[in-house]
Amino acid sequence: MPEGTGALREVLPKQGTGGQHRPALPARRAARSPPSSPFAGQLSVEDTATMVLCKPKILPLKSVSLEKLEKLQRAALEAAQPPEAAPPPSA
Amino acid sequence: QAAWNLKTRALTEMVYVDEIDMDQEGIAEMILDENAIAQVARPGTSLKLPGTSQGGGPSPAVRPVTQSGRPITGFVRPSTQSGRPSTMEQAIRTPRTALTARPITSASGGYIRPGTASMLTNPDGPFINLSRLNLTKYAQKPKLAKALFEYIFHHENDVKNALDLAALATEHAQFKDWWWKVQIGKCYYRLGLYREAEKQFKSALKQQDMVDTILYLAKVYLRLDQPVTALNLFKQGLERFPGEVTLICGIARIYEEMNNISSAAEYYKDVLKQDNTHVEAIACIGSNHFYSDQPEIALRFYRRLLQMGVYNCQLFNNLGLCCFYAQQYDMTLSSFERALFLAENEEETADVWYNLGHVAVGIGDLNLAYQCFKLTLVNNNDYAEAYNNLAVLEMRKGHTEQARALLQTASSLAPHMYEPHFNVAILSEKVGDLQRSYTAAQKSEEAFPGHVDTQQLLKQLKEHFAML
Repeated sequence: MPEGTGALREVLPKQGTGGQHRPALPARRAARSPPSSPFAGQLSVEDTATMVLCKPKILPLKSVSLEKLEKLQRAALEAAQPPEAAPPPSA
Repeated sequence: QAAWNLKTRALTEMVYVDEIDMDQEGIAEMILDENAIAQVARPGTSLKLPGTSQGGGPSPAVRPVTQSGRPITGFVRPSTQSGRPSTMEQAIRTPRTALTARPITSASGGYIRPGTASMLTNPDGPFINLSRLNLTKYAQKPKLAKALFEYIFHHENDVKNALDLAALATEHAQFKDWWWKVQIGKCYYRLGLYREAEKQFKSALKQQDMVDTILYLAKVYLRLDQPVTALNLFKQGLERFPGEVTLICGIARIYEEMNNISSAAEYYKDVLKQDNTHVEAIACIGSNHFYSDQPEIALRFYRRLLQMGVYNCQLFNNLGLCCFYAQQYDMTLSSFERALFLAENEEETADVWYNLGHVAVGIGDLNLAYQCFKLTLVNNNDYAEAYNNLAVLEMRKGHTEQARALLQTASSLAPHMYEPHFNVAILSEKVGDLQRSYTAAQKSEEAFPGHVDTQQLLKQLKEHFAML
């Protein structure tokens, strides 16, 4: 996931002139030459800053101790809840 | 007597969590730390200073970071620290408990819960009534004493009584029993008397060289924020116990905490040479490869975990991500489906939906991506990354105000992330609000100084202001 590093980036490499000895035209800003044009050459794209997305998250695996701790804490929470649930119905 | 012994040990085993791993540091310990020797530690010698990433490794441009500026690791244990929070507010925000997001205020808070669990499981009152116990009598019977100590320490969480028993027992054994010294050391550690604990562990080591004692002593050094001492201790231990997996793993963990990812990876590889089923090492190396742009290799590592029978939400989520980025599109969605099925709580579900959103962005289906990120927020309202990504999508549709609101939420939820700040800067610059853009760009630079786009933006803005 590379980040853009320059203001102007070459998108296509300089194309060969294929037997015809025509010099490649200098790059035009954000201009794209039509495919059938005889002026096929270097294409450069202006890099305006775009918004960045936050990256995908690899989830860390949990250790056995952590899972046991979580289980214990959950059990403690649940054990603490029934005594609270009992009085209101009787009240 | 034998029955009593058995019952004691069974009850202890119910709530036993290996002390080597168990290490919840409360807020009080973090903020009111009196053990720090120097005001500002030299770089590379402290665990509390977030990475100056000396060992290389992926930058925050590629790898998500946690609250303290450290990149997220591949494996989380009870003792995974998140560094010293700079303000009280940040400390309160950091989720510290294993289960809920509410932070524990001091270490005793975490331990009381397992203790009360034991009282609740025994409806007729506690199995052993500690106040009526004659500790001296038990101290003289070593076999009973040891079982009793473990019960008091782990099941009842009564460190003071445990310490008394251990002290009496040590005296009775004329200070020749290394096991009691280690137990006293553990009690001192729990009470926060780290230097005394260090002394006890060192003397136990002199008497009997044990890997466990080395691990406990290293824990003490880490709590005293002396990672280099702990590293040296481990390396000396490796000379005496060559190839001992727990020691090598300890070294790797310390390097990871110090943000030296390349050394950590090296040591995790050593672990795997010794024990190629070590889950932690495989997970950490896998995540390093993923964020170093090598998802296929990461995929191999996570497949290995699957082979070993690890079967949970996180693993399938990671498999799905690796498959997608390694272009194995057939496995991607089924892995994510499995991950959703296995998710145990809403936070895990939110994580999976977030990653699915990324997959959707990757295939170009922005509507699906929008829905995935919304589902993330449904499951976890505090998911800063989802807010940020939703803002980017809204911006594409042209809803500037909504994007701005979402970005504000994201940046307030997660001030350590550079993405929301950078996006606010871009947004404000497009709209023409250069002052806001400049402040946001500065915050982005604070969070991630190496971001080239931020620097360019700042340069542009400075030139603009200079012209005025």
